[in-house]
Amino acid sequence: MTGDPSNFIDFSRPFVDACKNIFTTMVGSPIEAQKPQIKSDSNSRGDITAVIGLSGELDKGGVKTPYRAMLVVAFPYDTYFKVASAMLSETYTTYHPDIHDLGGEIVNMIMGNAKRDLKTLGYTSNMAIPSLIEGKNHSIKYPTGTTVVLIPFTSQFGPLYMELCYSINE
Amino acid sequence: MALKADIKILVVDDMSTMRKIIKNMLGQIGFTNITEADDGATAWPMIENGIKEGAPYEFIVSDWNMPQLSGLDLLKKVRATPGLEKLPFLMITAEAEQGNVVIAVKAGVSNFIVKPFSAAVLKEKIDKIFK
Repeated sequence: MTGDPSNFIDFSRPFVDACKNIFTTMVGSPIEAQKPQIKSDSNSRGDITAVIGLSGELDKGGVKTPYRAMLVVAFPYDTYFKVASAMLSETYTTYHPDIHDLGGEIVNMIMGNAKRDLKTLGYTSNMAIPSLIEGKNHSIKYPTGTTVVLIPFTSQFGPLYMELCYSINE
Repeated sequence: MALKADIKILVVDDMSTMRKIIKNMLGQIGFTNITEADDGATAWPMIENGIKEGAPYEFIVSDWNMPQLSGLDLLKKVRATPGLEKLPFLMITAEAEQGNVVIAVKAGVSNFIVKPFSAAVLKEKIDKIFK
């Protein structure tokens, strides 16, 4: 993270709210955000990690500054299978091509919802295409020079982990 | 349900999990005749063939953001085709921006739904389209 830290707190709230909204509406299970923490390594906290990029400008009093951000949602296998089972009304207990794009769809929805609230904070934003990493002990490539904030969530299906990187060229 | 359960529905989305979720919700609402297409470019010949074969689709549920042919471009093709000017067309999008709604309404969308949504919300939108 670079720039004013207060920007980052404001910036992260829409993503947390959107994630809660998506789980309540489409998974049928509320989730609880835990205390955010600075992440100092690149190891995913999950076995299936969905990633999406965001870029645009922050307009503060008519001064427009470019920013870049990345949203990550990481699921342990068991959480992912239970979430997929709830959303697709079928039981999944192993990784299957049918559920490959679910993580991407979840980050896509989070980003799409967050965009609306970010706009009210002065951010214009362009979403990238989501991607998915699957496998035990994988790492995540973060943009150079950014700090990563990790926000763990608890749910009835197990833990999941949101990560946000944000950098603004001030 | 006032609508016939077997109206011919086409669900268009490039994400297979989302197609399955929408199909499941339509099934929960009571619909039984649902076909899937994995983007607008696949959906368009299916819509054309339905007309040629005398069994046209009666309701399109389409995602907005798709490769090759977007939901908006699919809608424009549908509306530009004689006989399909009033084909019920529900657009689904992940982006809750007012500008998108205006663009879709100008292009002739029947209704608009923003992800995430429940089967109850989907039913409400469908009821409004077909009332």
